[in-house]
Amino acid sequence: MPSHNWRYILHADLDAFYASVEQLDNPQYRGRPLVVGGHPEQRGVVAAASYEARKYGVRSAMPMRTALRLCPELVRVSPRFDRYHELSRLIMDIFLELTPLVEPLSFDEAYLDISTEAPWEKVAKIAIDLKARVKDKTGLVVSIGGGSSKTVAKVSSQLSKPDGLLLVKPGDEQAFLAPLEVGILSGVGPKTAEVLQGHQIRTVGDLSACNPVWLQQTFGKRGPELKERAMGIDHGNVTPHRETKSISAEETMPQDVGEEADLVRRVEQLAIGVASRLQKSGLAGKTVTIKLRLADFTTLTRQKTLPAPTSDANVIAPVASDLLRRELLPQRRFRLVGVGVSGFQGPKQLPLFPQL
Amino acid sequence: MRLSCLQENLSRGLALVSRAVATRTTLPITHHVLMETDQSRLKLSATNLELAITTWVGAKVEQEGALTIPARLLTDFINSLPSEQVNMELTPRPLGIRFQCARFEAHINGTDAQEFPPIPTVEEGVTARIDPQVLRTAISRVVFAAATEETRPVLTGIKLEISGQQFTLAGADGFRLAVYKGPLLDLAPEDAEAIVPARTLSELQRLLVDQDEPVELVITPSKSQILVHLKGVEIVSQLIQGTFPNYAQLIPQSSGTRAVVDLQEFSRAARAASIFARDGGGIVRLQIIPGGDGTSGKMVITSSAEETGDNLGEIDAKIDGDEAKIAFSSRYLTDVLSIMERGEVALETTTPSSPGVVKPVGNEDYVHVIMPMFVQW
Repeated sequence: MPSHNWRYILHADLDAFYASVEQLDNPQYRGRPLVVGGHPEQRGVVAAASYEARKYGVRSAMPMRTALRLCPELVRVSPRFDRYHELSRLIMDIFLELTPLVEPLSFDEAYLDISTEAPWEKVAKIAIDLKARVKDKTGLVVSIGGGSSKTVAKVSSQLSKPDGLLLVKPGDEQAFLAPLEVGILSGVGPKTAEVLQGHQIRTVGDLSACNPVWLQQTFGKRGPELKERAMGIDHGNVTPHRETKSISAEETMPQDVGEEADLVRRVEQLAIGVASRLQKSGLAGKTVTIKLRLADFTTLTRQKTLPAPTSDANVIAPVASDLLRRELLPQRRFRLVGVGVSGFQGPKQLPLFPQL
Repeated sequence: MRLSCLQENLSRGLALVSRAVATRTTLPITHHVLMETDQSRLKLSATNLELAITTWVGAKVEQEGALTIPARLLTDFINSLPSEQVNMELTPRPLGIRFQCARFEAHINGTDAQEFPPIPTVEEGVTARIDPQVLRTAISRVVFAAATEETRPVLTGIKLEISGQQFTLAGADGFRLAVYKGPLLDLAPEDAEAIVPARTLSELQRLLVDQDEPVELVITPSKSQILVHLKGVEIVSQLIQGTFPNYAQLIPQSSGTRAVVDLQEFSRAARAASIFARDGGGIVRLQIIPGGDGTSGKMVITSSAEETGDNLGEIDAKIDGDEAKIAFSSRYLTDVLSIMERGEVALETTTPSSPGVVKPVGNEDYVHVIMPMFVQW
């Protein structure tokens, strides 16, 4: 059962995103070495390289001329950022179906905090499902890494590529990281790596064993952070940058509950909290959602759309309770209840006479 | 009809009545001015069927008579004449008026006066007298808040209420409400109310500029017309039929936060924000931040446009209550600030989605309610 300290983060990273989109949209390019980037005559560089191109040593940021020399039959296409953006949105929406805690890092990668979604036993299934859903809805391949921190999640997704899935069990972080080269840690660029190597620090394990005083003297403020990261410690939270799409609250109950009065009371309390957050954010939504997780971890969501947006607990609570009551069955017991409001409208001039 | 008057008087009279000449109409006669002798004066009238304006010009009348003449042509011609005496004489065939002034002569075709729409006369009704400059201020504070589109006809009008020693003007479109209360010069004989077209009041506001004598308003018993008597000018307007929304209940009686700021500073910050708001959905955001120990409170006014950039203006504010934020359509905010008089103004808010209230400090005569924009903060 998830405890309060339980934390699990996925790092999802599309494989050769731009290049894969081009191969997806242009079947004639599939299976061929392809790069997305500027014209070689105009000193273009490689923005993305397909895995077929990478076999020839073609890498992103490489001058296009060099790439063409390495692989004369290379297909070059100019980037279509609108299309990448469109697919990126689609993919981020798929992530958001899983958890609201999605932090996009760029068009093609994001952290997902799934701590409240599943215990360790369920993580693999969630990640496999997520890969399948992205493939299904977009035709693109995403590699997923997971761990108890952003650092571990990101390192594991990098190691897993292409079409990979690598989930580090909580507690195993140090053992997992120790043999890897220091350069794999985010924050350790070529320069830092060079300094470290000059001191015989080659692996993440070497770095984690470093004298913190020396690190501080050598790298300043970053020093202690590097050591922590090397130990797999990273308190960075997954912070969604996106516009708020919904406001919700949920509660995992200390024991599974089946009794109506108890559940309704909890739903009402959650509705009051959600309403107050809506009002503080100046939001009102048209859709009220409840989330229910049964004792066997089956998760249900049920929603109802209202005629007008609301941020009023007196409107949200009865709707949420109604939705809840429909799901009550004699033997059903719940481990989690949640209430959310979504369906916000963009900036909107409020009316003076709502009744007209 | 034969008469003479001074060019400058005729020109001024035509300028007054031409405000009521119809601009778009299917009734061509309403493009005309009715000229008619009235004892020793020339009476000029124009109407667009909603509003009629009548004025009198001193004249030497030698023979009585009446005729209508196309307003635009007549006005342009008279304005082009030197400021000397203008002689006018009706010609039966072709029907028209022959003009002569200095060494200019003209003949303008006209139409029989019988065909001009009758200008309603108001014989009786509830009468109220108001100081002209008080009335002008009152109109300026509310008339811009009226709706310009015709989807809810009552909101294209201004609600006028007369009660006891006080008159009230209230205007609202769907998103804002302005209410001004002012004194009557005499106790009203009875309470009365009417919905006056905002356009009528805009014209009245213009005519009031150089008035110094009390203005008399008469609402007909049937509430179909209002007559306004000014010195040398009479306005008759149709009233708008229907029920004006009960606006009193829309004015919040309490607030969570009250910020008092200098009007000029507030206006400047709002105008600066509105420049960026133009490209950003017309939204300005106001944050009201109470001061701490020894620091004064402030109001922060921001706007942004994704493509263009963003801006932030900060002004001192005396704040009662909690920190607050509210977003307004920049036009609604700059509109109200531009018609208030210098001094301090108060902005009262409760939540980001409840009405904001702007009012002068130390004066209860004016209240302006703006519904906020619903935005993500």
